[in-house]
Amino acid sequence: MNLRFIAHDFKANLKQWGRSKGTVFWTILFPILLILIFGSIYSDTGDVRYSLCIQDLDDSTHSQSFLGILQNVSLLEIKELDSDVNITEYIQEHDISTALRIPLGFGSKIDQSFINQDTTAEIIYYFDPSQQTTTSIVQTILSSILQEYNLAVTGGRTVVVLSDSATVSEDFEFIDFFIPGMIGFTIMTSCIYGSIERNTKYRKDGILRKMLTMPVSRTEWIFAKMLFMLFLSFLSTAVILSFGFFVWGLSIHLNIFIFIIIIATSFLFSGIGMIIGRFVKEEETADMAGGAITFPMMFLAGTFFPLEQMPGYLQSIAQILPLYYVNESLRNAMIFNNLDKTLFFTGAVILFACVFFIIGAVVTKWKED
Amino acid sequence: MVYKEVQCPSCKEIIPVSGVPGEIKKISCPRCNKVGKVTFANTVPLQDDAIMVSGLRKEYGDLVAVNDISFTVRRGEVFAFLGPNGAGKTTTVEMIESIRKPTSGTIKLLGNDIRSSFDKVKERIGILPQEFHSFERLTVIETLQYFSILFQKKADIEDILDAMDLQHVRNKLYKELSGGLKQRVGVAISLVNDPDIVFLDEPTTGLDPKARREVWEVIKTLKAKGKTVFLTTHYMEEAEFLADHIAIIHKGKIIAEGTLEDLIQTFGHGSILHLRRCNNKQIGNILKEEGFNIMNQQNGNISISIDYTDKILDILSILRHEAIEYQSIDIHRPNLEEIFLHLTGAKLQGDNT
Repeated sequence: MNLRFIAHDFKANLKQWGRSKGTVFWTILFPILLILIFGSIYSDTGDVRYSLCIQDLDDSTHSQSFLGILQNVSLLEIKELDSDVNITEYIQEHDISTALRIPLGFGSKIDQSFINQDTTAEIIYYFDPSQQTTTSIVQTILSSILQEYNLAVTGGRTVVVLSDSATVSEDFEFIDFFIPGMIGFTIMTSCIYGSIERNTKYRKDGILRKMLTMPVSRTEWIFAKMLFMLFLSFLSTAVILSFGFFVWGLSIHLNIFIFIIIIATSFLFSGIGMIIGRFVKEEETADMAGGAITFPMMFLAGTFFPLEQMPGYLQSIAQILPLYYVNESLRNAMIFNNLDKTLFFTGAVILFACVFFIIGAVVTKWKED
Repeated sequence: MVYKEVQCPSCKEIIPVSGVPGEIKKISCPRCNKVGKVTFANTVPLQDDAIMVSGLRKEYGDLVAVNDISFTVRRGEVFAFLGPNGAGKTTTVEMIESIRKPTSGTIKLLGNDIRSSFDKVKERIGILPQEFHSFERLTVIETLQYFSILFQKKADIEDILDAMDLQHVRNKLYKELSGGLKQRVGVAISLVNDPDIVFLDEPTTGLDPKARREVWEVIKTLKAKGKTVFLTTHYMEEAEFLADHIAIIHKGKIIAEGTLEDLIQTFGHGSILHLRRCNNKQIGNILKEEGFNIMNQQNGNISISIDYTDKILDILSILRHEAIEYQSIDIHRPNLEEIFLHLTGAKLQGDNT
């Protein structure tokens, strides 16, 4: 391994990067700009919690039990309404998006269902159709709670799961959610476009042909370039975290997983860039191909908004996107501090990285046919 | 002792110097006092082959891009590989440079078969690929240092900057240079390891005439330094001006090879007489009937191949007899363009060149 070349190549890359205003903008300033914009928009929203008014007309053991479960869900901010309030008027007058009524006889119908399995207890969900996003999220949460509640009541499975599944901490704010997504997104774009440049522009400019005739191996070249990409990934991560910390008071858990995820993510997206650069030979077309991959991934993989806010089919699509696993691993490591999920998602990122980087390195050719 | 003249890069004063082969001598310009170094190239025995190509063939499916060609390039000479676009020049040179894999054939560089010893040879060759562009945001000096670091054997970068007349742009970014300067930097990069053989693949394509001339001067400097230069080009003036030895390739085959003089003697058939703006468009037919070889005829302009000078008088008397008027007449030795036309019936280069 020619370490002198690798060090020299790193220095040359650093100089070139520093002299390119566009690259510096996209790597450092653009993420900061996005953090500023999104942070400003959502900073007033405080904790990510959804208001839900509940009117318990039954006031039975079952309704109180169900109400207790809902009150423990950190995503929901429960406000109880008196039984004499007209719920529809109250919603209109107080500009409320979601409300729930537990009708009279709710508890007795549950008791009856043990005798007559056809009996159902109805809960009425009121919502403002113009607030589609919020109402659909609350509806999803309620459906999930009801499903588990029913299982518990009918003896199907253990129920008390809400506090465990409520992965978001009470002091979780939008910026805490957003910053890990921004880190994943920035590494993705810089690595994919960096690799595309090396594989299409350098090929077009004859630099790869030149390298082929010089005493440097393909492995040394790739290693040198990856070293610089890792440096850029850590640099942009450090800038984003510093900015988030000083401007938005970001609160995150710093741990070894973050380093592992950043390294794996850099290899993962460099590998994807290498594959694009190998098969799409025109520089402009390769850039478009890079955009065609990064843009949908950026929006579908939960970079800017929680995946739960998206329709079910989009959530399914997200789960086949590498950036989703990067975002989830970073969030679980940095914010939720959930070891099991961090391990799972980090493992997935490493797996993706191995697959894509190996394919990328194998298909990247210097020699012409 | 070797005597030579060098030009001061600052004031352009011609300075006579002498030294022994291999010596690097410090001199100062008597006019502007600029200090520089002059390298006296090691003399190399010309009988040694720098490049030996035998039975080289490249197929892409049914297409034969290079068709069993063989040639030899001697050390210290400028070898021009001349042919129109798509003739197989770059495919050939890239096979010699080990960028492309030949279908069959043997290539030896400095006596080493490249199939087994290319890594060994890499240290001794310098290459300027076709349409080469270096890193846009590195300066000239940084670019040369970048490529130099790869080699065990290194030339003095200051010497290269002097020789390529690049000192004045040493701290300029590559992207800020003109086309001619970029090509000079490309040639300079190929010299960072003080190579024995320099491959220049169409180094002047796309350059304006002034920039092209500048690159030609650089190539002459390489020859003066004793380098073997393998030059691919589709400009016949370039080959005529620079080459010691020329091979003309057409449709993957070498159709003529030798020194310029050899080619003219062998394929030139005497002289060419040009008549411009004849008022009778039938002039070609009239001369053909009289047994003359018409090489080219277009819009009243006509080129006639003549074996003996007394034929000129015959043509003039025919013109007088037929009362054909013309604007001008000139006679010259055939050039490579006309030799190529004669051999293939096609033009070597486009009208815009």
